[in-house]
Amino acid sequence: MGTTDSSIVDSARARPGLLFVALLGGLLLVDLAAKLAGVGLGPIGGSLSVDRLGSNLWSGIVIGLVIGLAGIGLSMTYSILSFANFAHGDLVSVGAFSGWGVAFLIAGFGDIPARALLTVRDAGNAAPGDIGAHILTTPGGILVGLLAAFVVTALLAVALDRAFYKPMRDRDGISLLIASIGAALIVRYLLQFVYGSDRRGITASVEASNIAFAPLGLSVNAHELTILVAALGLMLAMHGMLQHTKLGTAMRAMADNKDLALITGIPAERVVTATWIIGGGLAGASGYLYVLLRGTIQFDFGWLLLLLIFAAVILGGIGSVYGAIAGGLVIGVVFTTSTIWIPSDFNQAAAFGVMILMLLLRPEGLFGGVTTT
Amino acid sequence: MSVDEAESADNETDAAATAGTDHAIDDDAILRIRDLDAGYGDLQILTDVVLDVADEEYVTIVGPNGAGKSTVMKTVFGLTTHMGGTVEFEGRSIQGLAPEQIIREGIGFVPQNDNVFPGLSVRENLEMGAYILDEVPEDQIETIYDRFPILRERSDQKAGTLSGGQRQMVAMGRALMLDPDLLLLDEPSAGLAPDLVSDMFDRIDRINENGTAVLMVEQNAKEALRRCDRGYVLVNGENRYTDRGEVLLSDEDVRRDFLGG
Repeated sequence: MGTTDSSIVDSARARPGLLFVALLGGLLLVDLAAKLAGVGLGPIGGSLSVDRLGSNLWSGIVIGLVIGLAGIGLSMTYSILSFANFAHGDLVSVGAFSGWGVAFLIAGFGDIPARALLTVRDAGNAAPGDIGAHILTTPGGILVGLLAAFVVTALLAVALDRAFYKPMRDRDGISLLIASIGAALIVRYLLQFVYGSDRRGITASVEASNIAFAPLGLSVNAHELTILVAALGLMLAMHGMLQHTKLGTAMRAMADNKDLALITGIPAERVVTATWIIGGGLAGASGYLYVLLRGTIQFDFGWLLLLLIFAAVILGGIGSVYGAIAGGLVIGVVFTTSTIWIPSDFNQAAAFGVMILMLLLRPEGLFGGVTTT
Repeated sequence: MSVDEAESADNETDAAATAGTDHAIDDDAILRIRDLDAGYGDLQILTDVVLDVADEEYVTIVGPNGAGKSTVMKTVFGLTTHMGGTVEFEGRSIQGLAPEQIIREGIGFVPQNDNVFPGLSVRENLEMGAYILDEVPEDQIETIYDRFPILRERSDQKAGTLSGGQRQMVAMGRALMLDPDLLLLDEPSAGLAPDLVSDMFDRIDRINENGTAVLMVEQNAKEALRRCDRGYVLVNGENRYTDRGEVLLSDEDVRRDFLGG
């Protein structure tokens, strides 16, 4: 026992930051317990219902899944092409607009001009938002929309690669990063040009048909469930592809060692194209699902979301697909549960605070150092 | 190298009595390198290099650091800047071919460092060696497991968790997946514990006895020359001596200048 104690003391001495975080975490847990018990102990404690904590955690998981899904592509392109793609957030927006355009076209065909439906705009006195699209009334349209979001964004990602990144394949990461900022601006303002710049409502509320999980005090709505199922399904498919197909193995091989992949005879360009298709497609799908969650859309929401996506990917260990998912969940849960202690205006700050702590204490990230792609 | 050293090296060339300087062989070379100039970008490393490997032959390249030994191998695989001369394999020029096509022609390459995919299992590493085939060649995987039985035991283990010797086996197994006619080995004994080195050389002997020609670069020059059919001594990116391994080993100048006495 004595040795264990001293080794704990030693490691605390060696890493004072870790001790600080452990103490802070402990304090927050004690505070949380006091809040749940409804006890006030000077500065800590207060009151918090189990229901509120449960619903915070649940919405954190849902938004975390969407962020994690978006992060997969960012992490893949980082590990296989060695650059941080700043256009990734705008791919998220593209998926949302194109997917919802198709979903509306299917849901509202005939009642509203097709052009207005496809561009998710108002036409005369009929707005696409008035269709009242939601998963219970128009499930087919919403599923086809998800597929369209994936396909259109994947195609755009490949097109951007051919136009901008492929000619620069041998350049360093900084040059490619700057090129991707240019690509991001082009895509973002083309979106504004085609779809307009106003924020608008997209989906109808499904609160009326919430499913209550009484013991947990949770009330889950159909859109959150849709997101859970779709995101987990896509993640599982991604995992199966990475671990059990030749293409997936080649992707992991390229992420491990590009030079060796080359002399092994792995066709690099084909793997890169597949990476853009899958990474871009998942970004598009995540954008579509994000709008399903939030209910509104705006041409630059993906760009604004990119910071959180980057935070998730860095937290998980950049380059790791599984790290991106784990990082997304952590960021999502921190984002929503931090409102227990701080005003909700600062919840983004809490998410980045956690990311910065992670960088200080474990710079390689949650999954860094374990090569999982 | 200083001017003085270069001059004395020249004098020794003239003094070479026993070791031969006939760098080309007469016939049936499967790999035929003629007057090769190559390097990286603007930096020329190799000058007028002539090198042949016959069918099923075991050839080593030795020489001091910076002699361009590894550059010869990388050039065969199209990984350097070609500046002149020719590289033919089985009667066809392979210059300018992508590595993927060179593998198809029947050449396998085991580079010196980082020669396994650490995050892939042993079996996945081998499978990647046969990427260009439509189907995973199960019989070839079995052949490699028979040759390196420890790899069968470690089949599902990540290559990054293996010992240096086992990694080297994975790397060789990967390069042998397409049953190449010629295997290029860059410093196969580098980084191995001393007691594993002769074991590694035994394995290479057996690969060669099974009908695969071997072209090897080795720091461990004495051991390499003892085992090979022919050896090339490269200095400053140029041919110096070429002869049967035992002749090079017994040549006084070669011993003194390149084998440490």
